[in-house]
Amino acid sequence: MGDSEHQRNVNLPPGFRFYPSDEELVVHFLQRKASLLPCHPDVIPDLDLFPYDPWDLHGKALGEGNQWYYFSRRTQNRVTHNGYWKAMGMEEPIVTSSNGKIVGVKKYFIFFMGESPSGMKTNWVMQEYRLSDSSSSSSSSSSSRSSKRKSKTDYCKWVICRVYERDDDDNDGGTELSCLDEVFLSLDDLDEISLPN
Amino acid sequence: MPENMSISVNVNGQSQVPPGFRFHPTEEELLQYYLRKKVSYEKIDLDVIRDVDLNKLEPWDIQERCKIGTTPQNDWYFFSHKDKKYPTGTRTNRATAAGFWKATGRDKVIYSNGKRIGMRKTLVFYKGRAPHGQKSDWIMHEYRLDDNTSDTNIVPNVMGDGAQEEGWVVCRIFKKKNHLKTLDCPLTSSIITGESGRRSHNMFDDDEGALEQILQQMGRSCKEENEVNYSNNNNGRFSLSSNFNNNNGGDHSSSINYNDRFLKLPSLESPKSTSLENNHNNIDTNNNVYHPMIPEMEGSFTTVHHMDGSNGGRLANWAALDRLVASQLNGQTESSRQLACFSTDPTSSSMMVYGTNDVVQDLQMPTLRSSSSSTSTSTHRAAFVSPHAQDYNSSEIDLWTFARSASSLLSSSSEPLCHVSNTSV
Repeated sequence: MGDSEHQRNVNLPPGFRFYPSDEELVVHFLQRKASLLPCHPDVIPDLDLFPYDPWDLHGKALGEGNQWYYFSRRTQNRVTHNGYWKAMGMEEPIVTSSNGKIVGVKKYFIFFMGESPSGMKTNWVMQEYRLSDSSSSSSSSSSSRSSKRKSKTDYCKWVICRVYERDDDDNDGGTELSCLDEVFLSLDDLDEISLPN
Repeated sequence: MPENMSISVNVNGQSQVPPGFRFHPTEEELLQYYLRKKVSYEKIDLDVIRDVDLNKLEPWDIQERCKIGTTPQNDWYFFSHKDKKYPTGTRTNRATAAGFWKATGRDKVIYSNGKRIGMRKTLVFYKGRAPHGQKSDWIMHEYRLDDNTSDTNIVPNVMGDGAQEEGWVVCRIFKKKNHLKTLDCPLTSSIITGESGRRSHNMFDDDEGALEQILQQMGRSCKEENEVNYSNNNNGRFSLSSNFNNNNGGDHSSSINYNDRFLKLPSLESPKSTSLENNHNNIDTNNNVYHPMIPEMEGSFTTVHHMDGSNGGRLANWAALDRLVASQLNGQTESSRQLACFSTDPTSSSMMVYGTNDVVQDLQMPTLRSSSSSTSTSTHRAAFVSPHAQDYNSSEIDLWTFARSASSLLSSSSEPLCHVSNTSV
């Protein structure tokens, strides 16, 4: 399952996978990277800027299931060999589970084939995680209340990208109820329904 | 593997699970690796899945007992040995001190490389004692191995799992999310906030989780519908099912083609309520409406329309539907459409109604005008019929059977039928 290339130093029993929460990505990986601390484990590779088409990430980025993770730099130019990433115009604050503090921001992009602005939309989606204290993000309304704090760290520099092709047939391995299960469940409220158990 | 394992996992002890990593096994891994080793008494390298006596532990206790390390978990895994039965029958006793686990839905077949390896049962935890238990958000998936893995033609007997009522199973419990994914679904908030949701779909172009939202809504609608209609009598049958083309191309535009072939349900006169009027605003009635002639029949109507043509593919999984919904949510397509698929059933009409746009929230069963003057006979009662389906991926999905009595149907009306008036029954 997944690409083992970047997980070679993480040898876990079957069933263990890289499924980081947003918070973990920001706190355990992005913050440490930005602070020049080593990441444990050092599984997310640094692909620098954005040269790769999403389908070229295989073998280069950390792949798990249908998702790929890599470090990149913050940039306004997200052009790849065959297309470009276009912002979807939304950002999501990443908060810590312990105290609800905003530690990062997640931004969504869609991959377009061809040249901007006439590219063809694809199903490839990128979530770009950046640390929230970047001063350049003051225009983003959602995280403005945490933007006061100054830091010596070069927070602008690094981002983590999570790329996936949406519409994949796989659900997440059954940890959610299937759609039909949901229907069954809600219908279960009708006691009279007799089901073969 | 053990010798070059550089990171050890110590269950319930000091966590050595590196950050970002989780125990997130596939169903195949659960069955083929863990459960298979368990039943054959092979040693499992790491004791990540513990044994749990399901009768002794409440779900929230299991959650404590089955922690893996200290990383936050959304699901918990354990082995359980099924050996206790209810005194009154052959069913497994899954009662605890505080409640009981009750099976829901239909067991799903688990495949590995196209080969059937086991089954998954879905259970819900109810607090209290049957039949007065109160449904909780705790869900359990109970996986059992298929003893007859070599024979793919095994048809589970009608009695259900009588043969598999003994032995080890591997279980996963988790709490159902009421408002669904927030992790990867940026739409969640906008959906919940209502009005602006539709615009948000278009803006963000991300439909992840939207289908679940829709289905939840759908379930809710059905439930309401059933509640409304429940007290009434019914005679005939009115069943819902669907046949979808399974179009494996990931291309959204291809799914748009579905719509042209989908039947619109004939619009039958139904008493209008104010809410009905509102809902109608969402429907484009001029959109390639195809009105089948519905023969007048005694007690039922039979309208046949096979969605799948030459390729014979039907809804192989929900992803096809997902794609379809996604294409709708993306909004560049025309205005609201509905899907109405009919399948053949000699004794009943089968249909599935999906308003795939915003109409979805209002999905309701049609009210068919009964020629008899008493509207109270035109009622529905829900029951599951899914005689063919072994699993959710099988060719037909019969969601509901609605019993009704309709002695005649109006076939010439031009309004799309996707609403029922709650007031008439």
